[in-house]
Amino acid sequence: MLKQLNRADLDLLLTQISDEYRLQVPQLLADGTRQLAGYTGEAELSLTGEVLQRKPSAFFFPQTQRLLDIDTAGAVAVPQPAEKPLALFGLNQADLAGIRFLDRFFRAAPADDAYLRQRNGALLIGLTGMAGPDNCFLSLSAGDCDIELVAVKESWLALGHSSDGEKLLQNFPEGDKTQLVRMRHLNEGTAAESDLLQQASQLLIEDRVPDQFWMEIADRCILCSGCNLVCPTCSCFCVQDRNRGEITERSRVWDSCQLDAFMREASGHNPLGTDALRTRRRIHHKLAADVERWGEFGCVACGRCDRTCPTGIGMMAVAEEMVKCFGPGKP
Amino acid sequence: MNATLTTCPYCGTGCNFYLLSDDRGRLSGVEPAAKHPVSRGQLCIKGWNAHAFVDHPKRLKTPLIRKNGKLQPTDWQTALDLLHDKLSEIAAKEGPDSLMFLSSAKVSNEENYLLMKLARAGYGTNNIDHCARLCHSSTVTGLVETLGSGAMTNSLSCFEETELVFVIGSNTTEQHPLIGSRILQAVQRGAKLLVADSRKIRLSRHADLHLRHQNGSDVALLNGMMWQILQDGLENRAFIAQRTENFSALQHSLKAFTPDYVARITGLQPGQIIAAARQFATSDRAMIVYAMGITQHSHGVDNVRAISNLALLTGNLGRPGTGINPLRGQNNVQGACDMGALPDVYSGYQKVSDPQIREKFSTAWSVKLPETPGRMSTHAIEAAAGGELHGMLVLGENPVISDANQALVRQALGKLEFLAVIDIFLTETAQLADLVLPAACYAERDGTFTSTERRVQRGRKVIEPPGDARADWQILVALLHRCGLKNDYTAPAEIMHEIASLTPSYGGIDYSRLEGDGLQWPCPDPAHPGSPILHLEECARGKGHFSPVDYRPPGELPDAEYPLLLNTGRTAFHWHTGSMTRRSHLLDREERHAFVEVNPEDAITYQISERQQLKISSRRGSIYAATRVTDRVPSGQIFIPFHFAEAAANVLTNNLLDPESGIPEFKVCAVRIEPC
Ligand code: SF4
Ligand code: SF4
Repeated sequence: MLKQLNRADLDLLLTQISDEYRLQVPQLLADGTRQLAGYTGEAELSLTGEVLQRKPSAFFFPQTQRLLDIDTAGAVAVPQPAEKPLALFGLNQADLAGIRFLDRFFRAAPADDAYLRQRNGALLIGLTGMAGPDNCFLSLSAGDCDIELVAVKESWLALGHSSDGEKLLQNFPEGDKTQLVRMRHLNEGTAAESDLLQQASQLLIEDRVPDQFWMEIADRCILCSGCNLVCPTCSCFCVQDRNRGEITERSRVWDSCQLDAFMREASGHNPLGTDALRTRRRIHHKLAADVERWGEFGCVACGRCDRTCPTGIGMMAVAEEMVKCFGPGKP
Repeated sequence: MNATLTTCPYCGTGCNFYLLSDDRGRLSGVEPAAKHPVSRGQLCIKGWNAHAFVDHPKRLKTPLIRKNGKLQPTDWQTALDLLHDKLSEIAAKEGPDSLMFLSSAKVSNEENYLLMKLARAGYGTNNIDHCARLCHSSTVTGLVETLGSGAMTNSLSCFEETELVFVIGSNTTEQHPLIGSRILQAVQRGAKLLVADSRKIRLSRHADLHLRHQNGSDVALLNGMMWQILQDGLENRAFIAQRTENFSALQHSLKAFTPDYVARITGLQPGQIIAAARQFATSDRAMIVYAMGITQHSHGVDNVRAISNLALLTGNLGRPGTGINPLRGQNNVQGACDMGALPDVYSGYQKVSDPQIREKFSTAWSVKLPETPGRMSTHAIEAAAGGELHGMLVLGENPVISDANQALVRQALGKLEFLAVIDIFLTETAQLADLVLPAACYAERDGTFTSTERRVQRGRKVIEPPGDARADWQILVALLHRCGLKNDYTAPAEIMHEIASLTPSYGGIDYSRLEGDGLQWPCPDPAHPGSPILHLEECARGKGHFSPVDYRPPGELPDAEYPLLLNTGRTAFHWHTGSMTRRSHLLDREERHAFVEVNPEDAITYQISERQQLKISSRRGSIYAATRVTDRVPSGQIFIPFHFAEAAANVLTNNLLDPESGIPEFKVCAVRIEPC
């Protein structure tokens, strides 16, 4: 199905969606941060621009998430899913790949009910094509959303990738196929980042990166944990209990493998006891271990860790340095 | 999910982030502000976890009154009446100067202003101070004398333009992480880095030169560098001639500080001192960055003078990429000073002793004001211990854990006739109080904070405070009302109008102008764009004043009985006395227990192994903590962070004070250790 939406159509589509879903749309916040926020029909949408600041997967797997309440008699109460499911609009190709990655992890048996309470029934709406900063081109999705809006000049090609998506789009006008062909053509030239990751991954799998490299990178880490917290495929959490007299609230909170206590044992011993080991793990996990386990990188190249790392040692920066030092043509 | 922009409650860097809250009014997380000039989409670990303590079950929710020795819930009316009655009664009986008011670098500018007004205009005493006494009082005293302004001279953006950063006594990547990261980035792009710190801090791994001088030998080191600069003729003669005074006195004072002499005092090699001097003086744009390693000494003010002398000698002032950059610790310690929560000045550093200034405030507040400057907080503790103080109101501070020599602090607070504490948790200090008032935390009230680069920024209310807790400014307004003073402020923005009208450097600050990046003071009028760099054409006082200093050793050095030097400070994961960070899950998990860093050589001498419990004793007391064997500390020195109440480093520290700034010597005292 290919439809074409002008601005009025887009507004109509969003209004329709917001009747049935808790719709989140890209907006510019007070300081210019571009992020998903609740759709009101009034606030201005940010239909082109930089990558969304908060990773959209945080709606399904938030920084703090209540798991259950236990009372003094031992009875357990689990939070109820919200009345309306979520709909997230404005996701780029990497955001969608990140959610796909998390879906696979949390849906694998035993399925993670806390994640699914937010995720089940949610609608994902991609925004690709000429929707980047200054209308630059953003890669098309892999079809891993319900609706994909491909920005073209002053309108959007709308693709329904699921039956829910198709249903929502059914009453809109047909789209221009030649425009879609042009967009697909543009999409073919966007593999540079994954080339870099591919080379870096190869170096790790072949064990060609010496410990010294990790020590030097780790010396620059100020242990902010940001690289993990912004990563759309990071799924580690720890559990926090808060006792409020009658009720103990159990929540999970995002964790970070860059922290010493992440792997520290009760005795104080830590198998990942140095910054260098932890830094190596952060990169190795995504570029080698995940490849072995899932057959693909754990990095979707969203760029968030490179933006949030205060000292410039996010994934792409490290991969680049690794390839520069040990890549093709190096001894 | 709602997102509200606000200012980080932890360090003075001034990062901004969005607090995320759900529809039930609970915080669920933090997201850095992408376009804010300081945070730029980045935060440190404390910032990323700044939401976590807010909802803690131990938050204070009702006023508490001591009855039959126990703190028991009461209502606001009773609590406020009692507070006012007690303070008035003591003032009437023992004189207003038998009261002490401790303000806080964690509350807003507006709240600091109101408390200083309450102390002065309401209860008639200049006895008001706050924890800057323990951190940068030496800076304020020293830099006011040499430059005319006690604040960081340059801006954080200057790290992008500098050629050399000289970090002395600042563990920047741990204590001001997002400033530390700017230094690391400067190094990445090719800037030089000199680090002077006895500990192997993270920055030292990137330094061109790491000087591990003895704690407390900073004056000798800095004088030695200046001796060498003069020797090599590398001083900036044009700058000295045009912009400074008293140069010949400086020259004269440096005569003895040859590299050999300085090497003997500092424990460095003469060549290291010479190299540091040359690298520093041959850079066209050099920034000096310092913090507690400089200020927390019985000669803290002298240390600051020496730093100022070095900057003036080399002309590193009043230009981008240069400057004297004291990093202020708390998110609003700059503001608390600016607002006059100090015993000798009103807001904007306007002197209490100046009759015209007094007249101005007296007219504005319609009340007669006390003339003599008040007591410093550290002197107040001594006075209370000596029975000279009778009542104290503590707003958001925890001196039992944060002040030197805990036994003395406990004795002092115990002797008071009346102690009231306003706080968000029942801190160790609040546990001793006769009255405890529950306050709103940063996420639950509006107000402004002033960061280390003098950036005045908004803190915004995101959620309601728990139970009956109230914003500090509302509590203070209720007391102003009882004192018969103006009390019709309905929001902090109105308080800022009053501040701006009385404070020249804040004259142009108004909430309507603070929506974007904030404003850096001085900002004297509504059209003024703010001041990223101070002392541009001339210093605030006119000429930059060379203030020669001689080396004085610390008050208590190791000896046969107490053979090791104790250095104290903080870790990257906790904030001061831990009342917030130890209640934040990830931060608490990272550093849950008190520890003591011991050099591997000393570990062999004392036959101590990793994680072994140690008894650490000084002349003032003993604590127990687990050993961490590490070469971060040099042999002969141990380091203990002061966050942990159960093993409080300040049981050990020496309350020997700098004679001018009243700061205790937190960085040096003598201890012994015993394995157990
Ligand atoms: S974002 Fe950078 S500094 Fe922060 S933990 Fe990750 S690698 Fe370290
Ligand atoms: S660097 Fe300071 S202001 Fe910034 S997030 Fe960390 S504690 Fe907060």
